[in-house]
Amino acid sequence: MMNGQAGMPLAPELAVFALAVLVLLSGLIRPGRAIGWIAFAGLVAIFGLLMVTPEGQVLFGGAFVQDALALFAKRLFVGATALSLLGSLTIGHANFHRRSSEYHFAMLVSLLGMLVLASARELILLFVAFELMSIPLYVLTGFIKRDAVVPEAALKFFLVGTVSSAVIAYGMSFIYGATGGTALALIPQAVRDGHPTVLLGMGLLLAGLGFKIAAFPFHMWAPDSYEAASTPFVAWLSVAPKTAGFVAIIRIYLEGLGSTAEIWMPILATLAGMTIVTGNLMAIPQRNIKRLLAYSGVAHIGYMLIGVAVVSRAGIAMLLFYLLAYLFGNMGAFMVVETVARSEQSDSIDAYKGLAQRSPLLALAMLVFLLSLGGIPFVAGFWAKLYIFLAAAERGMYGLVFLGAVLTVVALYYYLLVARRMYIEAPVRREPVPTPGLLGVAIAVCAIGVVGIGVYPAPWVALAQRIAATLFS
Amino acid sequence: VTGLPILSVMTWAPFIAALIVMAFARHRPMLVRWTSLLGATVSLLASLWVYWSYDRAAAGFQFKEQFDLVPSLGISYLFAIDGMSALMCLLTSIIIFAGVFASWTVKERSQEFYALLLLLVTGVYGVFVSLDLFVFFLFYEIAVLPMYLLIGIWGSSGEVRPQGIFGWAFGRTGVGTKEYAAMKLTLYLLFGSAFILVGILALYVAGGRSFSFLTLQSMQFDPTVQSWVFLAFYIGFGILAGIWPLHTWSPDGHASAPTAVSMLHAGVLMKLGAYGVVRLGMGLLPDATSEWAWLVGGIACINIVYGALSAMAQTDLKYVIAYSSVSHMGVVMLGAATLTVTGLNGSVFQMFAHGIMTGLFFALVGLVYEKAHSREIFKMGGFGVMMPGIATAFTIAGLSSLGLPATAGFVAEFLTFLGAWTSNYSWWLFPGVLGAFLTSIYVLRVAKQIFLGKKSDDPHFQHLPDAQGTEWAALGILVFVLVLFGVAPGLALKPVDTATVPLLQRIVPSVEASR
Repeated sequence: MMNGQAGMPLAPELAVFALAVLVLLSGLIRPGRAIGWIAFAGLVAIFGLLMVTPEGQVLFGGAFVQDALALFAKRLFVGATALSLLGSLTIGHANFHRRSSEYHFAMLVSLLGMLVLASARELILLFVAFELMSIPLYVLTGFIKRDAVVPEAALKFFLVGTVSSAVIAYGMSFIYGATGGTALALIPQAVRDGHPTVLLGMGLLLAGLGFKIAAFPFHMWAPDSYEAASTPFVAWLSVAPKTAGFVAIIRIYLEGLGSTAEIWMPILATLAGMTIVTGNLMAIPQRNIKRLLAYSGVAHIGYMLIGVAVVSRAGIAMLLFYLLAYLFGNMGAFMVVETVARSEQSDSIDAYKGLAQRSPLLALAMLVFLLSLGGIPFVAGFWAKLYIFLAAAERGMYGLVFLGAVLTVVALYYYLLVARRMYIEAPVRREPVPTPGLLGVAIAVCAIGVVGIGVYPAPWVALAQRIAATLFS
Repeated sequence: VTGLPILSVMTWAPFIAALIVMAFARHRPMLVRWTSLLGATVSLLASLWVYWSYDRAAAGFQFKEQFDLVPSLGISYLFAIDGMSALMCLLTSIIIFAGVFASWTVKERSQEFYALLLLLVTGVYGVFVSLDLFVFFLFYEIAVLPMYLLIGIWGSSGEVRPQGIFGWAFGRTGVGTKEYAAMKLTLYLLFGSAFILVGILALYVAGGRSFSFLTLQSMQFDPTVQSWVFLAFYIGFGILAGIWPLHTWSPDGHASAPTAVSMLHAGVLMKLGAYGVVRLGMGLLPDATSEWAWLVGGIACINIVYGALSAMAQTDLKYVIAYSSVSHMGVVMLGAATLTVTGLNGSVFQMFAHGIMTGLFFALVGLVYEKAHSREIFKMGGFGVMMPGIATAFTIAGLSSLGLPATAGFVAEFLTFLGAWTSNYSWWLFPGVLGAFLTSIYVLRVAKQIFLGKKSDDPHFQHLPDAQGTEWAALGILVFVLVLFGVAPGLALKPVDTATVPLLQRIVPSVEASR
């Protein structure tokens, strides 16, 4: 039942579960700020545990695999959660502290769902993990009820999310019907046979997954929920569940399929192109930084979909690298948004006026994150885009490369609108923006990540290529 | 090959100076200036040394430096120069050296200003010396991006707002303001770089996974690939070179930019576009070059005439100079399109001559603006009495612009037109000459109105000082170079010849080894 004997099976998952229970129980005993610290310390320990967890365990007859992709994704999830907690630890709301254990419990349970999802090679487990991940997200979106917008956004997210879950379940039922089993390993042969029911099922599944990753035309929930929810949570929401969605897509549509997967190319390429165009164009008129980042996030999902659409080993590798680069760039940007919002009580991009003269380091960090998201050399996002384009060029998809490259310019336009407020326009107030220490740490970690990967991407590329090689031949 | 990596020294000296400026020179404006000057001087000396010790008999790429950056993707740090890029580096050094002096009076946030300016220059050097297409592209981006902040923060907006139907149509875009110009310039150039990136990736995939120029040069690409990649390069680099109808960022950008940035952008960065077309387009895609020469040359002719006519219609002094750049860049592209040694030499020489000349122009316009606080030609008048030095320098730059013998502009235009006449499209000569004629009209009109005409009655313009102190340094250097290369063009043509002849031999095999 187990290969790769070192270490206890399921250790990281069990640890997260134990941590979640611990957080919930300590909330009963003594609610308050300390709970956040417990969760954070636990996550750091689990991250360490994941670094030493060996690859290659296969449990439950192949339903649960601890392969290279799973480990990579899990480290990403736990790292992103820890970063997000660094941000939320500084939230000053009395209300938030009173309900702190609920917040952290929900987040950790969602994380548990992601961890299981990353390893799932079976439809039922995949679905359960998806739900475990998603349901706490709806709760967390509406967690801090500042105004009437918040419940509305949470409800919208919930409705859209449950519909997508239903579509996923519906699609899975077709796949089960056609393959006669729930193991993902059965899919390649069924697709090779060109079984129409399988194709229908996988089409429905793609629509459901499209909701989860906020790809066009299922992206509507993103801007509203981003605007409504608390920013450290949004930083995490914009990265971790989407990574989970992509892991699922890789598992279902690419792993083990080889060149058979080329039947997805036209639909995925179309989806990628539409998502890029929609996200970038919709971002232009936004005057709320969180909505702007939400739409830019939609565009990034489109770029990542190119990595899927090219159906090649390089494509998967570059998608994984992109996810990493996107994590640092996007989370960093949201952390700066949180810092500025604390001081200015506003998420409007006009709140950034003259930031460079008020807090030069904060403005520089934001500039670096925006440039990374925009794909400018010497920061991580550049390599991510470049590699994605390279993977597409190798498959001769120059149309997609060209579309992506041109819309990068559109993206830079709205990123530069923020940069313009920070650097060119005069500040309304002179005093520096106070940066809470922990937020500063989170921003610094992201900045180091973005610049470090940007200056020396080679080891990360090698890692991504190694993982991709295990999945796709 | 020497022990000292001279090209790296030249490229990174401004960058290091920028780092020092950012780290140690907060609130110490004089330290900022002297550090920047030091960085520029190191680069200038390095480029002079490279230029003189370049072995013309051996030709080819020299001073090679190479080490692997990302071996798995075939990316390496490969620096080398030939006669053409050596001249371009020299041009860059001269302009930035003069530019540091020209921006001596920048007061607001001078630390960031100089740091960005130096960063930009590092990008420019990097493009000229990189033979790895990928690193080339990185430097290209560095050369483009700081412009946004440089223009947006330190630029100046035009004095006249659009009126009538234009005001209605463009009013909301903020046309004529520095913010508008900065955004327009950045987006145009990044749009171009999207084309360049696609082209480079296509060559990488088609050329056996290498970004090395030397490897790619030895490849024989498929004609279809060549054809569309050439177009991608032509559009991408052409935007930066100001080809019609993609030139409109240039007048807005150059007019709004602060003095040193206009000097650098019009003087060097536009050359970078032309250099890209010649080096990558013509150098790597010989078949496509002959295929598309008619297009490149035809559009160049439009550039020459259209740019000159537009310059005639301007009332803002800076716009006149900016449109004159569009016209002169047409000469550069025309020379390249002739596919003759004479024409291409003229083209490269024009890159140099126009770089110096337009640098001088923008330095002068900056001085006039600083003293008179106006760019409107018809408000000013009779300044020659009060500022004889500036008036003289402006006249020399103007004479070079219209191609008077004994200035560098003459040599460049003469060679280009000679090349055009001997090319397959000899009619290209006529738009070229017409452009030179129109140039004399708008240059002399401006010189007459501002410096020689009736003295303006405006009380603001009664006591204007001439250039002072460091300002002379900028003017002196540029005028000296302009005349020196006009009198002794061989200084530039000999090394350039070693680069252009082999380049053309790959395109037109009948070109002789020596003229």
